[in-house]
Parts: sequence; C-alpha cells; structure tokens
Amino acid sequence: MGRESIFANEEVIELINERFVPVAADDWYQRRRDDAVGKFFVGVANQGPRKGEGGNTRQGIYCFTASGKLLAYRNHHDAGVMLDEFRRALDKFAKLPPEDREPGAVEVPPLDDAKLDQRYARKLPTGAIAVRVFARALERDADGKCRTCAAESGKPSYGLLSSLDHLWIMPDEWRALAPRGAKVGDEFAVPAAVAQRIARYHLIDNTRGEPAMWRREEVRKNAMTLTVIEATATALKLRLDGEVLLSTDAEAEKAKRGYDARLLGHIELDRAKPAVQRFDIVALGDHWGESTYTRGARPGRTPFGIAFELADGKQAADAVPPQASREIGGYLRP
Amino acid sequence: MSSTKHNATVCTNRLRVLASVLGLICGALPLSASRAAEAIKSTDFAELHKLIQPSEKESAWLSINWHTDLWKAREKAAAEGKPILLWEMDGHPLGCT
Repeated sequence: MGRESIFANEEVIELINERFVPVAADDWYQRRRDDAVGKFFVGVANQGPRKGEGGNTRQGIYCFTASGKLLAYRNHHDAGVMLDEFRRALDKFAKLPPEDREPGAVEVPPLDDAKLDQRYARKLPTGAIAVRVFARALERDADGKCRTCAAESGKPSYGLLSSLDHLWIMPDEWRALAPRGAKVGDEFAVPAAVAQRIARYHLIDNTRGEPAMWRREEVRKNAMTLTVIEATATALKLRLDGEVLLSTDAEAEKAKRGYDARLLGHIELDRAKPAVQRFDIVALGDHWGESTYTRGARPGRTPFGIAFELADGKQAADAVPPQASREIGGYLRP
Repeated sequence: MSSTKHNATVCTNRLRVLASVLGLICGALPLSASRAAEAIKSTDFAELHKLIQPSEKESAWLSINWHTDLWKAREKAAAEGKPILLWEMDGHPLGCT
C-alpha cells in the first residue's frame, strides 16, 4: 500500500533521493537474524515503540543514523504525514554532533559474510535465475476482453494495482528446459519442481498483502508442457502451454479460494552460453476467495492475470527473494 | 422410414436442440459462474503480458534509489553523511507485500 500512498509522491521521492540513503527490508527476516545486521536493526528499533516483544513485528518506517541513533519512526499511509516525519528526522539529524553526521565520521565495521545468519540471509544461489512475477485483478469489457480495474472515484486503488514477487529457478532446473537433441515439434513436460513451484507459490493473489500459498493437495490440476518452436546450435525457443486448477476443496465449486487458469508462455535459451534469454509467461483465469492477510477480495469468481518476465538485475527489487522462500527447503522442493 | 429409425432421428434432433440451448445458456452465463478457464490466444499474449505489469505511474516508487542490504546502506550513509530511511514490512516492501 505504501508504494502508492507514500512512495509514489513526487515530493517524497525527491526528498528521499536527495537527503537519505533509502533501504527496504522484510521484517520477517530482519527481526530474526542473529548476526551483526540483525543486532544493529534491533538496536535501532528498540529505541522506538516497536520493541518486538514475543517475536512480534517491528514493521514501519524508520529514520536513523549510520551509528544507529533513531531519529523517527512512523507507520502511516499518508504521504503528507510521512513527509512531515521525514523533515523532522532531518532536523534532528542536523542538530546531532558532527561525529554522528559528518561524511566519514561514523566508522562502520566490515561485515564478515561467513558470520551472517544463513537461516535468514537469503540470496539468489549462484547460477540460478530470478523471474519477476506480477499479478493483477482484471475485468472484462462487453466483448470479453480483459482490462485493468479502475478504482471508484475518490477511493484508493488498494488491491487493483499490479503486485510483484520473484520466482527463482535453480541452475539444474533451467538447464533441464533444454534437453539435448531437442528438435522442432518436440513436446515435453516442464520439470516437475518448476511446474509445482510456479503453481503453489506464484499463481497466487498477492494484490492485497501476504497471501496463503497453495498446499500440495490444493493443486488439483497442473499440466505444463513445452513445445520446441525453433532449435539451432545456439538457440532454443519454446512455447509453454499450461492448465491449472488450484482450490482449497477437492470440489472446486465448494472451495472458498481457488484459481482456475490457463498459461501461455515463451521461453528462449542461449545454448552456447548457456543462459535463459526470455521467460515470458501469462496465466489468466478466474480467481476467487481470500486468505487471512488478504481480506477484501472481490466477490465471486473474477478475472485474474499473472505475468512472468526474466529479471535483468537492473532494479534493486530484483534482489528480493521470493516470498515463499522464507521456508527455503519447501520452496526448492515443492 | 421405419418407426424405429424415425424415433431415433427425432430423439437425436431433440438432443441436438437441447445441446444447442444448453450451449447458449452456458455461453451467456456471467463470469461468476463456474467454468474452466479458456486458452489464451497467441494474438492476445503480448497485450495481456503488458496489461498485467505495472504502469509507469504504478512504478513511481521504483524511482527511489532503494537498497536491499541494510549494512551497505549503513556504509553509504556513513560515507556520505546522510541518515538512513528504512522501509521495513512483513513481506518485502520491494517484493510481495
């Protein structure tokens, strides 16, 4: 929600880019880390109202110095309120002694990667690829054509904007997309772990917050096939066709939550490097229902689309791990 | 035409009419009704792929020079003499929240 309500505001963007060093983090990891990074964060957060008693969340927006002195804390969705908070933080910063604010005055100890808490320091494994995954609630016009949903006049676009997550595909998995000797017309199944990971963790409605992922038994149908469209010594072009039925009840009609969708995709591999050059997929179907942290779903079955594209690493967000990788073992072995 | 053949033809025609009527009813059902998803047409792919992704306006928050590593942000803040702004959410703010 903050993306639209606070961080899309031009004044906020300008102020942050000029006067702060902005960083974004997932509190689920940060508050659990038993290493220098986790201790530094907890030391800052404990100066504010969110002390995380009982392992509770410490989420919010914090301003603090490189030495760890808290300047401001607020968790508000109004850009005006947050702008005031950011300006107050800058005023406080300006009044600090030089040893807390002059360039080069604060000495930050080097971080020893070997001492990071590996349970909560999640990074894309070497050789793996990251894929951006966008999801959006859609509607159909009179001709049945999909379009984006417009917010009612004066109301926020909560739940109607495109959401973002990331899919990780391991090196052996994407290499398996290009079997040796594959020729035009060949058809084969998407590697089971990849198909299951996509279905369980990425064909989800995350447009209103953290969604429940699909349980293994809730994947009622998952058929994803690759067809070789072009094959040369250096390149392989594949078309992906898929059909999924995900529902909380074996009888989809009775299920409180579900997604009944078809997939179409285009995947291209450079066989010489080897590397994935394109990973464009669209899933489109009807979604229904909500989960604990995604209240406010549209009633009934409504069109819902999910788009995948290869992350090029140019956006800071490309480094963000998949939401479902908090339980990394289950994510990699779905 | 024998009576048996005549009855079979009438029965078949009735079934065809019934199937047509059912087809029309199903085709006219609102989206809220249960039905299997339709295949995505190749000709619609590019448009759908773009439609689902965020518009330029929706991506405005990405024009902030976000870091994703608190320690690197701390080092940069120390070097440049700036305060750190940390956006901390349950679910990564630059990912799935």
